[in-house]
Amino acid sequence: MWRVTIKGLLAHKLRLALTALAIVLGVTFIAGTFVLTDTLHNTFDTLFGNIYQNIDFQVRGVAQFGSGGTATRNPVPESLLASVQRVPGVEAADGSVTGYAQYIGHDGKAISTGGAPNLGLSFDPDAQISALRLVQGRDPTTPHQVVMDLGTAQKYDFKVGQPVRILLQGPTQTFTISGLARFGTADNLAGATLAAFDTPTAQKVLGSVGQFDTINVVAQPGADKAQVQRDIARVLPHGVQVVTGQTVVNEATSAIGQALGFLNTALLVFAFIALFVGGFTILNTFSITVGQRTRELALLRIVGASRRQVFRSVLGEAAIVGLVSSLIGLGLGVLAAVGLEKLLSGFGVTLPSGPLVFEARTVIVCIVVGVGVTMVSAISPARRAVRIAPVAAVSAQQTEEEVPLRRRFTRGGIITVIGIALLAWGLTAPAIALVGLGAVGIFVGVAMLAPAVARPMASGIGRPLARLLGVSGRLGRENSMRSPRRTAQTSSALMVGLALVSAIAVFGASLSKSATASVDNAISADLIVSTTSGGGGNGNFSEVVPQAASSVPGVTATTTVYGDQFEFRSSLESLLAIGTKNMSQTVILNTTSGSGVPALAAGDLLVDTTTATSDHLTVGQQVPVKFALTGHQTMRIGGIYQPNALVGHFLVSQAFFVRHFQNPLPGAVLLKTDGSPGVQHAVTRALAPYPNVKVQSRAQFEASQSAQVNQLLGLVYALLALAVVIALIGIVNTLMLSVFERTHEIGLLRAVGMKRRQIRAMIRSESVILAVFGAIIGIIIGTGLGIALVSALHSQGITNTVVPVSNLIVFLVLAALLGLLAASWPARRAARLDVLAAIAAE
Amino acid sequence: MESAVPPTSTKRGSVALTDQAAPAPRADTAAAHAVDLRKTYGTGQATVHALAGIDVTFARGRFTAVMGPSGSGKSTLMHCMAGLDRPTSGHTFVGDLDVGALDDKGLTQMRRDRIGFVFQSFNLVPTLTAGENITLPADLAGKKVDTEWFDYLVGQLGIADRLSHRPTEMSGGQQQRCACARALINRPDLIFADEPTGNLDSNSSAEMLAFLRRSVTEFGQSIVMVTHDPRGASYADRVVFLADGAIVDEMADPTPETVLERIGQLGA
Repeated sequence: MWRVTIKGLLAHKLRLALTALAIVLGVTFIAGTFVLTDTLHNTFDTLFGNIYQNIDFQVRGVAQFGSGGTATRNPVPESLLASVQRVPGVEAADGSVTGYAQYIGHDGKAISTGGAPNLGLSFDPDAQISALRLVQGRDPTTPHQVVMDLGTAQKYDFKVGQPVRILLQGPTQTFTISGLARFGTADNLAGATLAAFDTPTAQKVLGSVGQFDTINVVAQPGADKAQVQRDIARVLPHGVQVVTGQTVVNEATSAIGQALGFLNTALLVFAFIALFVGGFTILNTFSITVGQRTRELALLRIVGASRRQVFRSVLGEAAIVGLVSSLIGLGLGVLAAVGLEKLLSGFGVTLPSGPLVFEARTVIVCIVVGVGVTMVSAISPARRAVRIAPVAAVSAQQTEEEVPLRRRFTRGGIITVIGIALLAWGLTAPAIALVGLGAVGIFVGVAMLAPAVARPMASGIGRPLARLLGVSGRLGRENSMRSPRRTAQTSSALMVGLALVSAIAVFGASLSKSATASVDNAISADLIVSTTSGGGGNGNFSEVVPQAASSVPGVTATTTVYGDQFEFRSSLESLLAIGTKNMSQTVILNTTSGSGVPALAAGDLLVDTTTATSDHLTVGQQVPVKFALTGHQTMRIGGIYQPNALVGHFLVSQAFFVRHFQNPLPGAVLLKTDGSPGVQHAVTRALAPYPNVKVQSRAQFEASQSAQVNQLLGLVYALLALAVVIALIGIVNTLMLSVFERTHEIGLLRAVGMKRRQIRAMIRSESVILAVFGAIIGIIIGTGLGIALVSALHSQGITNTVVPVSNLIVFLVLAALLGLLAASWPARRAARLDVLAAIAAE
Repeated sequence: MESAVPPTSTKRGSVALTDQAAPAPRADTAAAHAVDLRKTYGTGQATVHALAGIDVTFARGRFTAVMGPSGSGKSTLMHCMAGLDRPTSGHTFVGDLDVGALDDKGLTQMRRDRIGFVFQSFNLVPTLTAGENITLPADLAGKKVDTEWFDYLVGQLGIADRLSHRPTEMSGGQQQRCACARALINRPDLIFADEPTGNLDSNSSAEMLAFLRRSVTEFGQSIVMVTHDPRGASYADRVVFLADGAIVDEMADPTPETVLERIGQLGA
């Protein structure tokens, strides 16, 4: 039986190739994702291993919030260094500080990294301790010298001896580049820019006078390290700990690992969507080929093949297709990893480079998933193959049996309902896995129900084509109506793709609209000063900026906004702080109980109604909170305000905030003006020394919020495009099989005078009908999914539901055009058929 | 592979037997026989009796031809006897096996071990070579091919030099001889041949029929052959005439002339 399976596969190489392509693309995506994230992981592991390879211990504040590499820690006093250096067995110890320092390029613009931080740090001349390796020039020794990382120097064309302006927490300063350095073995730290100063300068410009963030220690050769660690611990005050260098490396890499894990999961979701769509294509192809091989399969049964052997033969075919596709996909995945990196960096996510890592796990997952999806998709066709009666080999009946349609509809209906229930449950819970499962249920269920509407819909979609193209259009329309099941199955893949694209479109439009609407409801300021570095990294800027802005003539009120994290009732939350002085002129805060500005000025905590309701908070209540710098305390709830998209859930005053956070930097400045036309220009000019900030009118600010949403949407569309491509391959495949199946019929049409052009038009009409059918159902489902998603996120600030009708119409037109594209090859092939041979074919 | 459970032990068989008090099989002399076999299609006024109560026995080691005009039920009779089609009522036996009592597994087993088929339209698997087509039943059964028997068959049929060819690279006669070898490879109790010469020229037909005749005479093969052709029927030991789903006549030791004469009488 294996021989029959394999020979059958080899005899239909084209069919094999087209079927395989769907799986190849999906597996490529998976392999690419794994190779990319493994490679990044390895790169970071190596990097951190290098940096800390000589450091035996690190003295640091204990974690206030979080743990490991992402914890918030307080600095240690400078005086501790001398105590640590005196501990027996310590060869060398030095303190280090890090903070914000951003270069300004030769073009006068702030050098931003697209996510990675702009780090300022202290340069340790002791090569044993320092993470920096000087490759050119000299150490920084004066308050006007800086060592730049080699990556930034090369990219922005800086050389030793040149002056460079650096944005700092305080006023911008000019330094001379004394040397260039690598970070460990890398040109820089994962895309971050580095500015290294001598320690006293670093302490001054990075806001850590008299303090160190960490003290790095090297033990004497041959010293008992455990003993040294215990001895160091003995001299440390409360709230300061000593850990091994290995611990620091592990924490750093596991923090990176978590971030990469998120990237990995996000990409894998799209890979699985692609494979899911591929599964529909496989199912369809196998259904058609089983139908076409009815005679052959029946013959096998006659000469003694058991049902199980037939079943195994079809599944075996699927297994081989799956295995071959997975192996090809694995190979292509390595190339895809490079492509994905390029795609992400095109969207502003810079990733470090390193040798590609290809792990055994990648191979196993790809093969298991690739073969698994193919075989699961082939189960239903295989079961149909088993039902073929042996007598089919000798009797004339060749038509597809459509008997169990009613049972199929019942099942489809049940699966759809279960899917909707799971989705609803998942959205309210909220549990993302349930949402995914629910969506899968809806897609599978609707795909099973689709044959019910395939005939009337194909008829409706085909009517204009029939009018436009005459007999070709009419025949194309009839072909698409001939087998509702095949039409529905072929369209299903595109249905899934378009449903996801439409859902994202609805979600994005609503998000965008909500973002702009909320700006109007949240602030009354005329100008908004914010950072140019967009999301990620540190979106903060110098504390000098608000003063510079407020001194511009025409600016009538200035409000500075800060943000950070704190613990509220033992859970980590975002906290916003606003200067209370002119707040009423720039921020719209509607309190429902308690008071606004007075309570803030009194040092109270304000919460929004959402939080008050969910946490059962009332004005006057005392709540436990914790700040990284100042520890546990109790705060009074001074007021409750209506949800405000800018402010978020928790609000305190600026005066309170700066007392409870280490080196707070402003995140935004809100300006009220007297309305004179030149004010925005004047503010922009006044802030020219700070190229990391931008000044926007409220309209510009709203537009940039939408632009951010759109950029994210662009990335998601690009990732979903693969699923749509796979769906199109499914259409090509079906059309090829149909052309093959109707060779005789096409020959007949040609014999009675149909032109090649008309044959092509016929196949194209059928393809367009298939594509539009899938698109319509997909867009309907997707719009529903999008609206469900948006309404579930209502309390998260997505208050407006927008269905972008024009976008959806564009999708429909695109689907029709893609249908035309998918038909081009099958149509050419059909038109090229030799008339005589086609008629002879039986 | 498939477990070798004797199909006679299936539970469905015993139930059916006790329910209807079926006649005892005649295992000693008959290769196959049918008892009051009926097959109807449709209901009410549109009812068609393809088989209207047929009792027939095909003797072991004999060559029986089944003749009749189109629509007389020849093919239906053969399909029912071979377990390809389920009769509406009545019983069919292959040897001592009650075909109606077999489930799909039992039927598969029976087709594998006891029956060989030759069809009008050759019915070879197009992707396999001639040799692979011939050994297919043995491969499916997971049996080792009896190479001596294989060599003998392909030698007798004159296709030894064609074994590596695909069906599309062979003439109709060669394809049919290949199908014939496939039918014989498992040494079945009975071969059903449905118009085996229907698509062949007269030379190939004669060779094919002569071979079938020889397999009966030389190694006692039992063959039931449905045919239109009086010359074909003359190779048989016995001819059974069918009309409108019933057996209307039969004749032993036929010649083309006697068959033709009898058809003329029946048609009149």
